[in-house]
Amino acid sequence: MNSIKKLPLGTFFIKVILTLLVASIIMVLLGTSPIEVIRSIFDGAFGRPEKIVKTMLIFLPISLASLALIITFSGGLWNIGIEGQIVLGAIGATWVAKSFFGETLVSPIIQVIVGMSFGALWGLLCGYLKVKFNVHEIFGGLGLDFVATGAIIYLILGPWSRSGIASTSGTDIFPKESWFPTISSLNIPALSIIIVSIIILILILFLSYSRFGLMLRATGINPSSTNKYKFNSNHYIYLAFILGGAIAGLAGVFQASVFYHKLVPSISGGYGFLGILVVLASNRRILPTLLLTFFFSAMIAGGSQLQLRLDLHSSLISILLSSMVFFWLIFNSSKVNDLLHRIIKRN
Amino acid sequence: MLPFEQSFITIISLSTPIVLVVVGETITEKSGVINLSLEGTLLITALTAFAVSVMTGNPVLGFLCAGLVGSLVALVIILCDTKLGINQIAVGFILTIFLGKLSSFLGREFVRIPGPYFPRLSIPILKDIPYIGPSIFDQNILVFISLLLIPLTWFFLEKTRFGLIVRSVGENPDSAQNRGINPEKIRLLATVIGGLIIGFGGAAFSLHAKFGWSENHTGNYGWICLAIVIFGGWNPVRAAIGAYSFGAFQLIALKLQSVALGLTQVLPLIPFPLMILTLIFIQRFNRSKNNKELPGLLKIFFGGQEPESLGKPIEKK
Repeated sequence: MNSIKKLPLGTFFIKVILTLLVASIIMVLLGTSPIEVIRSIFDGAFGRPEKIVKTMLIFLPISLASLALIITFSGGLWNIGIEGQIVLGAIGATWVAKSFFGETLVSPIIQVIVGMSFGALWGLLCGYLKVKFNVHEIFGGLGLDFVATGAIIYLILGPWSRSGIASTSGTDIFPKESWFPTISSLNIPALSIIIVSIIILILILFLSYSRFGLMLRATGINPSSTNKYKFNSNHYIYLAFILGGAIAGLAGVFQASVFYHKLVPSISGGYGFLGILVVLASNRRILPTLLLTFFFSAMIAGGSQLQLRLDLHSSLISILLSSMVFFWLIFNSSKVNDLLHRIIKRN
Repeated sequence: MLPFEQSFITIISLSTPIVLVVVGETITEKSGVINLSLEGTLLITALTAFAVSVMTGNPVLGFLCAGLVGSLVALVIILCDTKLGINQIAVGFILTIFLGKLSSFLGREFVRIPGPYFPRLSIPILKDIPYIGPSIFDQNILVFISLLLIPLTWFFLEKTRFGLIVRSVGENPDSAQNRGINPEKIRLLATVIGGLIIGFGGAAFSLHAKFGWSENHTGNYGWICLAIVIFGGWNPVRAAIGAYSFGAFQLIALKLQSVALGLTQVLPLIPFPLMILTLIFIQRFNRSKNNKELPGLLKIFFGGQEPESLGKPIEKK
């Protein structure tokens, strides 16, 4: 991250190839054939139009989680609490979906507003613990994640339990009026795509071209030196948590109302933690983050084929993703970069 | 045997793995390193212990292998931090996901199969003492080891020279370096020793407290242990008390299962709000400039000091 010396673009591709090579070696070590796995994943993610839509449904929440994390990481914050923020967003959406129906679009829009506010509040709580009580956001976030887990299990088994019998399989399916509008017989999630696109555009403008983005990054680099430049870094910590929490909350809304159409205990799908992997690898840049998210979502969507076709455990996908991120970080560490630099210089 | 005594024995026995893990993580964090990978490390070490003991028929070998794996994971984290300059939180986080899923993948063949039990330690006479006897002297050796480790770790950290060095590196690696200590080496040692004990903790799940293997066998226990270490205020004795209290909570939840559905799922989450409360108390009272002291009883439960340089890399000069 801090190596100033520029390396030629070629080394970037060498690193990509090395990372893919590591993934292939891991596949071979686990007794699978990389070519079979890749073909199966590709087919599972893009093989038929319905599959592309499913990949899209996975891409949307993960991209939101990753964008939320770009904001908090830019402020130098480890937002481990993102899983809880996603859960709170889903709880907010469910609350609305169960209460207001009305015309098409009315319920989804209220769901978005309430879900984002719930997520923002959960994020703000983590920021408040950090600023006011000096509770490190990793521990505060972890704690709030599990408090959210407790809340969602309580709601699913208690007040929002299915008519007849309470079960951890989730609440009743939402009434149709609360679903997000889709187009064509493929059920393309049009409204969600529009919302995510708007958020991406706003974030590019805000983070790269505004004073807010600059100050946020300054907070991330050195929160104490910012006093010198007459702005309060605590405000930016709050803002980062509120914005990040709101966007993570929206991911939760999508999970509940667009993907499952109900509330389930594991509503986040682990997408918050997956987002952390994405942003660690993309080093907080927006476009690489989106590309990586797309790659990750395709692997997850295609991964469901592995079990059916090759009788491979679905955990293989997460094993590959996490090990690729790990080796990508190693190949991009300052030590390895220095080494590469020396090799290039010598030749 | 009285029902209350039976519960006491169960709590001591079932808390064994958690005690080992929190003691190991406390040693690690005292040196300033966060081993965030507990959730993944526990899964992979629990699997290692069970798989090795099934394949060789020797649970002691499984136990030792789990310790080895635990210290290897710790070694990766600390080497990435000190040698490659990759954030220890990032590595710990990635390993959490990687090792957890790897355990699901590699453990397929071991799901719900029988395996050999760990040897029992039964000391005549001593085992007849009420409460203490059956819970310590007529138990699995693992229970005995975990109970022995608590005072040993406390003595090592608080009363020995090496313990003092570990703590000084956790507080301020720079000034430790000025006194001729190599903070990198100390952190490496503390993290690897901590990882060894954490690995033993993972083994104690699959060989004792939650015998056998299933997917996500130790699910959430890693995160719970991280919370208990903080609840313990980085003191191994208090962390162990936290572990036993958690064991008691679990037993109560189990007994109440028939009364209130969902309690079994919600009650194990108690350590997390408690962790946040502890952190608030620690920061509020122990580090405030006017040195407000916590009132007596609260101090015992919520006092303690966070190692000053916890989670921060050593700055190269």
